[in-house]
Amino acid sequence: MIAALFRRAERDRALLAALFLLVLPFALPFRATAVNVLIDGLFAVGFNLVYGYLGLLSFGHAALFGVGAYATGLALLRAGIPWYGGLLLGLLAGAVIAAIIGLLATRTRGIYFAMVTLALAECVYYVAYQASGITGGENGLRGIVVAKIDLFGITLDFVDPLTRYFLIAAIVALALAALSRILASPFGAVMEMVRENEARARAAGVDVRAVRVLAFVLSGAFSGLAGGLQALHLAIVPIETLDYGTSGMVVMMCLLGGAGTFFGPFVGALVYLVLQNLVALISSHWQLPVGVVFMACVLFFPRGLWGQIARWRPA
Amino acid sequence: MPDRTDRRIGRRGWLRGAAALAAGAPFASAPFATLRAEEPPIRVGFPVPVTGPYATEAADQVRAAQLAIAEFNESGGMGGRRAELLVRDDKLDPGEAATRAIELIEKDRVDFIVGSLSASVQLAVNTVTKQRGILYNSISQSDQIVSSPDWGPTSFHEAMTPHMTATAVGRYAFGKFGKRIAYVAADYAYGHEMVAGFRAVGAGIGAEELAEIKMPIGTRDFSPLMPRLEALRPDILFLCNFGRDQQVFVKQAQESGLKRMTHIVAPILLQTARIAGGAQAFEGVLGGTSYYWGIERDVASAKAFNDRFRKAYDGRLPSDYGALGYSGVRSVLSAAVKAGSTATEKVASALAGMKYDFYKGPQYYRACDHQSVQSVFIIESKANGRVPEDVFNVLETVPGQEDLLKTCAQEGLG
Repeated sequence: MIAALFRRAERDRALLAALFLLVLPFALPFRATAVNVLIDGLFAVGFNLVYGYLGLLSFGHAALFGVGAYATGLALLRAGIPWYGGLLLGLLAGAVIAAIIGLLATRTRGIYFAMVTLALAECVYYVAYQASGITGGENGLRGIVVAKIDLFGITLDFVDPLTRYFLIAAIVALALAALSRILASPFGAVMEMVRENEARARAAGVDVRAVRVLAFVLSGAFSGLAGGLQALHLAIVPIETLDYGTSGMVVMMCLLGGAGTFFGPFVGALVYLVLQNLVALISSHWQLPVGVVFMACVLFFPRGLWGQIARWRPA
Repeated sequence: MPDRTDRRIGRRGWLRGAAALAAGAPFASAPFATLRAEEPPIRVGFPVPVTGPYATEAADQVRAAQLAIAEFNESGGMGGRRAELLVRDDKLDPGEAATRAIELIEKDRVDFIVGSLSASVQLAVNTVTKQRGILYNSISQSDQIVSSPDWGPTSFHEAMTPHMTATAVGRYAFGKFGKRIAYVAADYAYGHEMVAGFRAVGAGIGAEELAEIKMPIGTRDFSPLMPRLEALRPDILFLCNFGRDQQVFVKQAQESGLKRMTHIVAPILLQTARIAGGAQAFEGVLGGTSYYWGIERDVASAKAFNDRFRKAYDGRLPSDYGALGYSGVRSVLSAAVKAGSTATEKVASALAGMKYDFYKGPQYYRACDHQSVQSVFIIESKANGRVPEDVFNVLETVPGQEDLLKTCAQEGLG
């Protein structure tokens, strides 16, 4: 019964995700955090494409997210490009930087892949840090103010919390639908084949390296889009978006929710952000209870929160 | 039977009493009832890095800000309307701070935001408040927040700017020690801004710059620099770094003998860092500060502030950045009282140009850029005194004058 329910959920996953996004801001005590859940959720989903479905652990995803954020921010701030153009540029920039990092990093595997991605992402960080004339350096990029959004002849107030949420939610829902389509395609199956048995995939005629690079580029596009949305939402791009802390955060969210599942990373982002914010409101020692919850998750939900639920079968 | 009678009378008595109370209640509690029902408290959002490397300073800022709120409420508030402080942890992260600021505005409906403890974090909060028309008073150093394009009509800056700090400290040092100078600077915004500030002062008096050495943050060995600096024999060595880097440098300068040949001057000496580092590490080092509790001997408002702080927090004394939490909150609340309103434009116009003396002598917000013009104290580390906070000698008070600041035209606000 429950298994059938989850099979059903898996089939209509894009629709289900859209429904979930529709009720999320009313379920959460904070709207701005709800928007962060959307953005980090999309970022984690993009990361999951490489980690969960392809089995490559990247520690450099901050570069893909951050470059997307900077591209969107700079396009709006310096070039005066409208918001949708800025977002598209963010998406493309994420894909381009992913192609560069992916081409270099896919020459290695395992722990070396993680280290090379981390090192290359740090290079990106220092370039942005030093180029303070363009990026604002340590102070970050500020003043990416989008007050009004014109959409098919309707002008929306982007400062209004709910309008901002639903606009960003609509874009995230579209991205999730695209991701669902990718995963359902033959390419999605090939990714999982490479993860499960690389030698066999090779023997079956799969160009393993090309699959890895392509998946990395797609992951970069999703991450870059998430970065661009963050630039619009917060009106700033802090240098910290390129920091290795951001790379660590997305790994954590993905593991917490369940790698290799469609909804897992999103659930991970939700739990991660809401838990932190709620506990921080009550106590300044929020790190302790949050750490305990994380340890409990690792011990009792090794497949992640969603991963464990989705695999649960009544005895 | 008598029992029942008693009981009946008791009940009647109770009923009568209750009726009388109910009838009297509207009169007795009327002022409170209307006050509570119609006037929500004035809400001040206070995002500071409660966790992370600046947690000690942030905790002190919260203590001082709470003091300002308590004082405001004790003195009757704004026509009876009380104030409350909403402390949020910005985790020393600009993205986190921006999110917290958005939530403070959208969900908690704060009237003002005061806070932050780093340049990038305050600029992030400032972007959010500027966009939403909420008044923001920053309590940490930055030149950008009072310059175009970051500055906005809602931006106020209670803390000093790096430029004014370097100008005040530079003038003192050049006047006392000579004109042959060398810089050792941390290779990031803080170090660069401070060097630029000293250089501007030095250019005016014909100082001779012998070297500028930039070192990465987190450098743990400065000993390779020592022979070079000893050979240069500068009159002044400006040490533009922070925290542990600063402690390590001073210790190694002591060991190598460099300290005996030159005067080591830091733009800012933090009380918390000096207490943590100990007397030996900072011996003979000069620097600037926005506040040191020891000025209470000469400044009446400092004495009053310290006494209140001591009383509220078991004899503890406020730190430099902590005190900014007090004046940052108090100045905004005073402006609200002056304006008779919490509307952003009214409070902003009351605050611009406002003269006040809350804790360190006379100050005022310059009308064109909302920078608080204030005195800078030149201090010197000394041996530990009677109380843990007794760590500095005040050498000179540089009075708050506009010639310490960049002109508004230089800031792009002319």
